[in-house]
Amino acid sequence: MSHPQAIVLVGVIISILTLGVVTVLGSAKDENSTSNTKQFGGHTPGYGTYQTTGSVLDPTSLPTDPKNSVVDPMKFLREFNHGRVSHSADGSTIREFTVIASDQSTREISPGVNYNVWTFNNTVPGPTLRATEGDLIRINFINNGSGFHTMHFHGIHPSEMDGVFEGIAPGGKFTYEFIAEPFGVFPYHCHIQPLEEHITHGLYGTLIIDPKKPRANADEMVMMMNGYDTDFDTENNFYTVNGIPYYYMHHPIKIEEGKLIRIYLVNMLEFDPLNNFHLHANLFNFYKTGTSLVPDEYTDIVTMNQGERGILEFSYKFPGKYMFHAHKTEFAEKGWMGSFLVTEPENAVNASSFTNITTAITNPTNGGLS
Amino acid sequence: MERETGIIKDSISKKKIVFFGIVPFAILSMMIVLILSYPSLFFSGQFIVVPEISIEKVEFEPLKIIATVSNTGHSEVSIVQADVNDRIHSAAMEPDNTLERFESARVIIPFSWNEGQPYGIGLTTDDGTRFEKTIQFATLTPQPTLKQASNFALIGTYVGVIPVMIGLLWYPFIRKLSLNKYNFFLSFTLGLLVFLGMDALLEGNEIVVRDISSAFHGQMLLIMVAILSLVSLIYISSKLMKNARAKSSEPEYPVYTEVSKEDGSNVSSVQSSRQHLIIRPVALSMMIAIGIGLHNFGEGLAIGAAVLLGEVALSSFLILGFTLHNTTEGLAIVAPMARNKKLAIAKLILMGLIAGVPTIIGSWIGGFLYSPLATIIFLGIGAGAIFQVVYSVGSWMYYNNNKVLASLPIVSGFMLGIFIMYITGLLV
Repeated sequence: MSHPQAIVLVGVIISILTLGVVTVLGSAKDENSTSNTKQFGGHTPGYGTYQTTGSVLDPTSLPTDPKNSVVDPMKFLREFNHGRVSHSADGSTIREFTVIASDQSTREISPGVNYNVWTFNNTVPGPTLRATEGDLIRINFINNGSGFHTMHFHGIHPSEMDGVFEGIAPGGKFTYEFIAEPFGVFPYHCHIQPLEEHITHGLYGTLIIDPKKPRANADEMVMMMNGYDTDFDTENNFYTVNGIPYYYMHHPIKIEEGKLIRIYLVNMLEFDPLNNFHLHANLFNFYKTGTSLVPDEYTDIVTMNQGERGILEFSYKFPGKYMFHAHKTEFAEKGWMGSFLVTEPENAVNASSFTNITTAITNPTNGGLS
Repeated sequence: MERETGIIKDSISKKKIVFFGIVPFAILSMMIVLILSYPSLFFSGQFIVVPEISIEKVEFEPLKIIATVSNTGHSEVSIVQADVNDRIHSAAMEPDNTLERFESARVIIPFSWNEGQPYGIGLTTDDGTRFEKTIQFATLTPQPTLKQASNFALIGTYVGVIPVMIGLLWYPFIRKLSLNKYNFFLSFTLGLLVFLGMDALLEGNEIVVRDISSAFHGQMLLIMVAILSLVSLIYISSKLMKNARAKSSEPEYPVYTEVSKEDGSNVSSVQSSRQHLIIRPVALSMMIAIGIGLHNFGEGLAIGAAVLLGEVALSSFLILGFTLHNTTEGLAIVAPMARNKKLAIAKLILMGLIAGVPTIIGSWIGGFLYSPLATIIFLGIGAGAIFQVVYSVGSWMYYNNNKVLASLPIVSGFMLGIFIMYITGLLV
């Protein structure tokens, strides 16, 4: 008689214990009642904003810490390094640059994401070097890294200045010297194998050679399209223009209505076979490789393979905020997007008030985030 | 001489024993202190700490995806970016985005997801490593509402209670069988149970592979829990049987004497197996019912979790498969009672409920508070319980058949039992 009852009792006890354990394991300790609520979301139309007591993971609204940032994209945008200028006996211009390669530092490439970058002069992308056709370019290259590195320039120069066959050892130096020709936009990058590794870590930059008769006066900027494979699976985790994903989305590039804008655009994206640039609400004249003064195309989108580049010229007809991004939407949604804020040139008061309104409309969450 | 030295040695060794007991611990603690204080003595170069997180659960709410993530690596880790289908999205992390070892947190991603579509939820740690979990098809996560609870209860009833009850209806049939046929059905039951036990372990293993980080050693945990459950249930049941028998004035083996009377089998076997025969058929049935109940609890957890995780669209065909599969469980419960003279309808119904109702409770818990770790623990307990029943029924048959199990009815019954389970299992 009592045997089954005893077993039932055991059964009941076991069930109670099991229920207890499940409840304990199931209820994760997520109750953390702080009144410190923050807003997140809201920059994508139709999504609204959300409240949280926790941390916000939001690369499109949060500014990157400038101190540990791999580059300051706003500074980089319009920074052209013309070198130390001197003149040779025959009167031609000599431009001397110092470029230091390093490969040891870990820097922030997207909010919170740290990655071991290999750099020319401490930034990714490396410095934008600029000369005029016919100048003598002299680059004092110092390898401050732990492995071999070189500088390989696209353009016309002698074999020994090509930076391919003679790797520069750690601690070593080399002087690259060549006449700037022809005019155009040229990438430079490290040419030590595995090439893929040296490029994807960040050893690249832009060389601009201006024609002897300068191009028309314009608001000039350089844009380097790149990516980062932070988990080494030969697929990029982040795509950027000028080094930091989404940067120009939350820091729009201010330009003037009607003013000629000239962009020196270079694609150094590794792994993906192509990349592109699409401009909103406008078209641009495209000068492939920048080697001609006659535009090749009048378009709103240009597609490039790795190493390809060109010059874009356009001006905005109406004030407002306009996006530009890769029309490979995957790249756009992994960081390769930005925006121009077009303001009216004369009336500074109007322009600034307009700026505030636009920022408030498009980015309502920023106030609560910092 | 020998004795004297022995005494002297004993008196000295008391201290020595304590000393030698402590020495290994002392050396061990010195080693630990040394390694922790001067790691450079042992390791050249830098320690490379590889972060590891595991996304344990992904829930879908209107315009929101919520991932539960835990740090299963060896050091603290920060999660800095979230993505859906490898596209970066704004997200919030509660309580915060820094996880200590084994800590877990929720990542809330506002996202307009579509019903029935697969989604990969990715999280990137501060060193740029991306971790992903793929959900086969998105479906609104069941909320603990009355409607959803009664929905689970209905599924649980169809899958657990009704089939067991149907199986019990074989009781009158089983009672009329000869000893050989009775042995056949009892070993048939054993076959069913062995299948169920293995099935629970395999199902647990699937969850381990899918949802549990290697840091928890899920496979070992599953097997360990099953063994612990088996051993402790064997111990508890035999202890309780002894105590109950000591208290009751009933004869020790009433059922067995009945069996021997009816069949006129030899009395000597009764004598020889006296010490071992401690379980009566009703108790045996009850143990089977409890074992199956524990098993069905685990099955319920798995069903609830499958609905929660959007892995199964519970179709009527699937429920039918479960029903057929589980009907055999009712048969397992009634089989030992076949030789009982008394009809115990109330007890049978009670046993049916004990075996079947845990399915409902399991589906509630699995569906509303899914925890893969808890699920494999209960699948392990269920497997252990099933094997304990196998042990009890097996030893009961062993002593009831003159310690010979290799007879045609028993062997064929056992094999058919496993085979039938396999066939009905194909429907699930």
